[in-house]
Amino acid sequence: MDPLLAHIGHYLFHIFGLMAVGGALALVFSRNAIHSIVGFLLSMLAVAGCYLTLSAEFLAVAQLLVYAGGIVVLFLFVVMLVEMTRFKDKALFQGQATWAIAATLAGAVAIIGVFWRTWFAASAPQALTLEPGLGEGLDVATQNAQAVSRGIFAGYLLPFEILSVILLVALVGAVVLAKTERV
Amino acid sequence: MVSMNAVLFLSFLLFSVGVAGVLIRRNVLIILMCVEVMLNAANLNLVAFARHSGTVAGQAFALLVMGLAAAEVSIGLALVVALYRKKGSVQVDEINLLKG
Repeated sequence: MDPLLAHIGHYLFHIFGLMAVGGALALVFSRNAIHSIVGFLLSMLAVAGCYLTLSAEFLAVAQLLVYAGGIVVLFLFVVMLVEMTRFKDKALFQGQATWAIAATLAGAVAIIGVFWRTWFAASAPQALTLEPGLGEGLDVATQNAQAVSRGIFAGYLLPFEILSVILLVALVGAVVLAKTERV
Repeated sequence: MVSMNAVLFLSFLLFSVGVAGVLIRRNVLIILMCVEVMLNAANLNLVAFARHSGTVAGQAFALLVMGLAAAEVSIGLALVVALYRKKGSVQVDEINLLKG
């Protein structure tokens, strides 16, 4: 990694993390659905930034393409399709909201307790490596996309193929579910 | 260098916000987006541990999870559209067909 980026990566991660949590909070607590989508978009962009500071460059770009380019636009389409003004004067939260918040906070306290006990030692992160033979003619540290693709196609070919079948099934299922009764 | 704990803590915060959103909101679209936020928190954990162990497996699986999230969103939104046509509502507490 670039020496300058290695130096400020720490701060960048914190800024992106704050943006991600803020976007998620805006998503949960805003009244207007479009504002919620903007919060979601901000959160996803910030998570992509976090991937960059964690030296997962290919994943960061994939996150931008899939979420900011695809999923957010899908959500926007559906919000335009559904007449949201009809639900404007309805209550925003469920009746069990108080209990739900209390349960979430209790879970948070429990996890923070566990977290406190198992505080990870401040060890330096390891550079990305590939198995011998796989990384031939490749600078794994700087060619992230090539390294990830070699890792997937060498070790995780079956999950990859299964995912392609799942995507096909989802495609057909979405068309069948969303089409009107009479074509 | 970004420490492991910072990443885990961010991922945990994002996951908590997602869980809270799923539990308290009444709009199906918002609930779907909160599920996406939870998946992203898990992805962040995978990337953090991939960086910690120096193997490529975590990043590969984060990529697969991303594809799965896209499939889930397309099905979920198709369900929302079908539901809106049928019931004229996207509020989860108005959908109680299975109530005895």
